[in-house]
Amino acid sequence: MSINTKIIGRSVPRIDGRDKVTGAAKYTGDIKFPNMLFGKILTSPHAHARIISIDTSAAEALPGVKAVITHKDVPDIKYGISPARWDENIFCIDKVRFVGDKVAAVACTDEETCYKALKLIKVEYEVLPAVLDFRKAMDAGMPQVHDEYPKNINVEIHQEFGDIEKAFKEAHLVRTDAFLGNRAYQSPIEPHSATSLWDGDKLTVYSSTQSPHYFQYYIAREFGMDMGNVRVVKPYVGGGFGGKMEPTGLEFAGAVLAKLTGRPVRMFFDRHEMFAHNRGRHAQYMEITTGVTKDGKILGAHSNFMMDGGAYTSLGIATAYYAGALLPLTYEFDHYKFDLFRLYTNLPACGAQRGHGAPQPKYAFESHLDNVATELGIDPMDIRILNARRPETVTPNDFAIHSCELTQCLTRARIISNWDAKKKEGGMPKGHGIGVSTGSFVSGAGYPIYRTDLPHSAVVIKVNEDGTSATLYTGAPDIGQGSDTVLCQMAAEAMGFHYEKMKIIAADTETCPMDLGAYASRLTLMTGAACKSAGEEIKKSLLEMASSMLHLPPDDLECEDAIIYSKSRDGKALTFQEVARKHFVLKGPLIGKGSYNPPKLGGKFKGSPVGTSPAYSFGVQVGEVKIDEETGEIEAVGFWDVHDCGTVVNPRLLHGQVHGALSMGMGESVWEEVLFDDEGRIKNPDLANYRILTALDMPPVESEIVESYEDIAPWGVKEIGEGSTNPTMGCFSNAIYDAMGVRVYSLPLSYEKVWRALKEKREREHGGKE
Amino acid sequence: MYLPDFDYHSPESLDEALSLLAGLGSGAKVLAGGTDLLHKMKQGDLAPEALVSLKGLDELKGINYVEGRGVVIGALSTQNDILYSEVLAKKYPSVSHAAKKMASNQIRHLGTVGGNIVNAVPSADLPPILIALGATITLASTSGKREMALEDFFVEPASSVIEEGEILTEVAIPDGGFTGSSYHKFGLRRSGALAVVGVAVSARVENGVIQEARIVCASSAPKVIRAPKAEEFITGKTSAPDTLAELQAIVESEVRPRDSIRGSAEYRRNLAGVLAKRALIDAVESGHGIHAED
Ligand SMILES: Cc1cc2nc3c(=O)[nH]c(=O)nc-3n(C[C@H](O)[C@H](O)[C@H](O)COP(=O)(O)OP(=O)(O)OC[C@H]3O[C@@H](n4cnc5c(N)ncnc54)[C@H](O)[C@@H]3O)c2cc1C
Repeated sequence: MSINTKIIGRSVPRIDGRDKVTGAAKYTGDIKFPNMLFGKILTSPHAHARIISIDTSAAEALPGVKAVITHKDVPDIKYGISPARWDENIFCIDKVRFVGDKVAAVACTDEETCYKALKLIKVEYEVLPAVLDFRKAMDAGMPQVHDEYPKNINVEIHQEFGDIEKAFKEAHLVRTDAFLGNRAYQSPIEPHSATSLWDGDKLTVYSSTQSPHYFQYYIAREFGMDMGNVRVVKPYVGGGFGGKMEPTGLEFAGAVLAKLTGRPVRMFFDRHEMFAHNRGRHAQYMEITTGVTKDGKILGAHSNFMMDGGAYTSLGIATAYYAGALLPLTYEFDHYKFDLFRLYTNLPACGAQRGHGAPQPKYAFESHLDNVATELGIDPMDIRILNARRPETVTPNDFAIHSCELTQCLTRARIISNWDAKKKEGGMPKGHGIGVSTGSFVSGAGYPIYRTDLPHSAVVIKVNEDGTSATLYTGAPDIGQGSDTVLCQMAAEAMGFHYEKMKIIAADTETCPMDLGAYASRLTLMTGAACKSAGEEIKKSLLEMASSMLHLPPDDLECEDAIIYSKSRDGKALTFQEVARKHFVLKGPLIGKGSYNPPKLGGKFKGSPVGTSPAYSFGVQVGEVKIDEETGEIEAVGFWDVHDCGTVVNPRLLHGQVHGALSMGMGESVWEEVLFDDEGRIKNPDLANYRILTALDMPPVESEIVESYEDIAPWGVKEIGEGSTNPTMGCFSNAIYDAMGVRVYSLPLSYEKVWRALKEKREREHGGKE
Repeated sequence: MYLPDFDYHSPESLDEALSLLAGLGSGAKVLAGGTDLLHKMKQGDLAPEALVSLKGLDELKGINYVEGRGVVIGALSTQNDILYSEVLAKKYPSVSHAAKKMASNQIRHLGTVGGNIVNAVPSADLPPILIALGATITLASTSGKREMALEDFFVEPASSVIEEGEILTEVAIPDGGFTGSSYHKFGLRRSGALAVVGVAVSARVENGVIQEARIVCASSAPKVIRAPKAEEFITGKTSAPDTLAELQAIVESEVRPRDSIRGSAEYRRNLAGVLAKRALIDAVESGHGIHAED
């Protein structure tokens, strides 16, 4: 279905583009207040240890130190981002659980003194044996990370839909493959920071956050305050990717230090501390079994997973459910079994990273599917087309799918990547391989993170009094993905106004209506829906005003491009500006309000809310790689991404998301891994040895979209930001296999692992001799 | 993440710098681009009482051809100076290429050849190709100057024969000798990656026969090393595939890498052999290479 829009569908320039490229944009760390102090947190040097004593006297005596706090100075209410498992304290009380666990904090007149003061805090520890390998965490005799969770089990999931045994019995082939994932870290360029200040009983926190609302909720809860007395403001944010969803401790410690000293306090992480705080991708051990017919039709699947949770829950309950819940999205089968353990270990806590729980299981499933195809002698593209989900279907775990153009995406990807020619014998130069993989993701989570009946998104649009501009007030945080721009496009579209005349005030819990935040790829659909209602309310008020000015009935009037005109009579028209001004004079402020609540979604089983969404994106990636046989070096030669993301609001931003997601996905596929020594210390907490990709490493990318329209979404939109990360790891795995005939069963698919796999293959073929 | 306090000196001539250093003694360090030194100081690994900056010493800058001495590279030449040098583009593009493979543009703008050498880490990218080409260095102090082969400079990681009060003033690549040279670096991404292994090869080839060769390996042992057995083996031979396979195996047997965060000893051993073979092919077939920017 094609829709008639004026502003939606146009690559308008980003509303924040000029500020960002000129350096005018202010990030949290740029904000200064008179008399401001600097704060830092002291963290544990041990993976697992009992705290015997803490002596802060030497630090307190250091000139420039204004306050030193420990667990004694803060509430002992446990918090977390998952209400079912609040397991973190602002500062550790009796035990530290990973290298980096928070123990104390200081506020000083300058940053340098903070580092000196931290060194003067004496903490006596009794070191305990640690759990460093999640696959052994359940074993008898392992130390307990939390006494409340026997066998270190943080989350346990056992779900079965349909009859998996029967499906496997009827199958022509039942195959199991096992894969191991890596710990990855989001590595946003802007470090986390928070600046806290008090005005009487009211606390204001400027924070580098993806969700001002959840921060406000948790800060208020921790300190027993009314939410109305906590104001969280998000300045410009330099990337989050899931790592800035939950309070970091900087907000809590900063608030207490600011209260004690009566001065504003700026807290921040350096790069090492970011890695230690983590909340990045869980490493997962993944066993996938499918039963398929002779033709390759999947009858049923069983996912059997273990996850390295780290020391705390973070968003890990959702991650755990997502890991299995999203797997049945791209392919149709009726029988599905999902088992998972998320284990506590004495390592930094893992959380949500772009694509949330989905990308690693997708790597496993897509690699496995290619193994199945190879065994059956079927082309990898064909087996996917055969199994591809169709529109208006329901997954075995009760997700209702409406729009779905996966088959079209596959067909298109096949053409633009020149798949068939390349797959022929000699179709590519030596050392080249090509792989395909699919992905799908939610366009917003069906349920909020804590139980509430508040709307998920709400906005207000105020047309400014002389009618020359309008301001959108929204709690939605732009963290670099471009939501400020697309939401203004959507507001202007609904109003019949100009994008260029929109202003935005966003992500401030006091001046803006609430919004749950930038996660689960939710803003375009959900906040977009609220913008649509608000814009339409403004248009309605304007048409009513114009109706009395023109003496024509409102339903004969339309507003487009900031002109209100009569549909029946030529020449009868007024400008948006004059009608808006008249409205203010005669009726008061011209305001539109909108809010969004998703419909009731999902099944009735335990965990059924996770993975529900009003709509799902679908996508396909084809990647061509070149492998250096002697060194294992992998070069990404070209990537083709074809997406069904409903109506596109801003094509340039959309393709930017695809490129960005691909570069993150590529990094996780081959280059990135957080490494630990045998005492649980991170070996590469820096950007030299934790290798996110550079511009030079990016291959040429062709990003395409297919025609699609989501009926239940405003203007038919769906998500793009996270879904594009899902196929990438599987794509690399399959392309490497195609090039070399070897499969690497663990992420990252590093040069050395590819080299080793090739060496072992040669040794097998030559009977142990090269 | 903060620099410790130190006294800062900015002499305007080499003589002034040398007498400053002599006076300050063991508490002083020389500062060139600072890309190694300041990082160590911020990490708390070093806390010199004084830094003597070489920035004002114009006599340590410039890359020139000097009749009788060869290509003379001032110690303060940055990696980008080397990458974009006209003289090197003409005589030894292989050296420019090694500079191009270093760090990122920002670091290349600061980091100097002197610092890269004196820092004395086994992964440094410039020493292998310079040693392969038989480069000498000049060390100056208040008691005079001494010249030595760069090859003899390194002792072990972060340690060399430089003495307190000495400044490295220049590197010279003598004329003659080799008809070709090449440096192959294996890094784990295209920018900002240290060498997992790097191998430089120089060769003098007559009628397709290798008369003399040097094979120099970085990140393959506690210091940058030559592979003498491989050099001897290849002398008098051509670069035929079988010969190269043997050469590869000999290099593998000569290097002494350790397991590191960037690769296992076994992998690095393999890489040294592969890179030596490839660098030799280049040195035989492509002379000193094409300029890195071409
Ligand atoms: C992000 C990053 C990436 C990097 N990538 C690479 C890479 O890919 N390859 C590589 O080889 N290196 C790399 N380096 C290391 C570094 O940039 C180089 O070694 C550089 O050439 C050092 O030069 P400098 O002038 O900055 O040395 P400085 O830091 O100023 O000095 C280093 C040491 O040498 C001494 N010194 C310097 N000049 C002299 C002199 N003339 N006489 C006597 N002593 C002297 C100093 O006292 C100090 O001990 C990287 C560094 C960074 C920060």
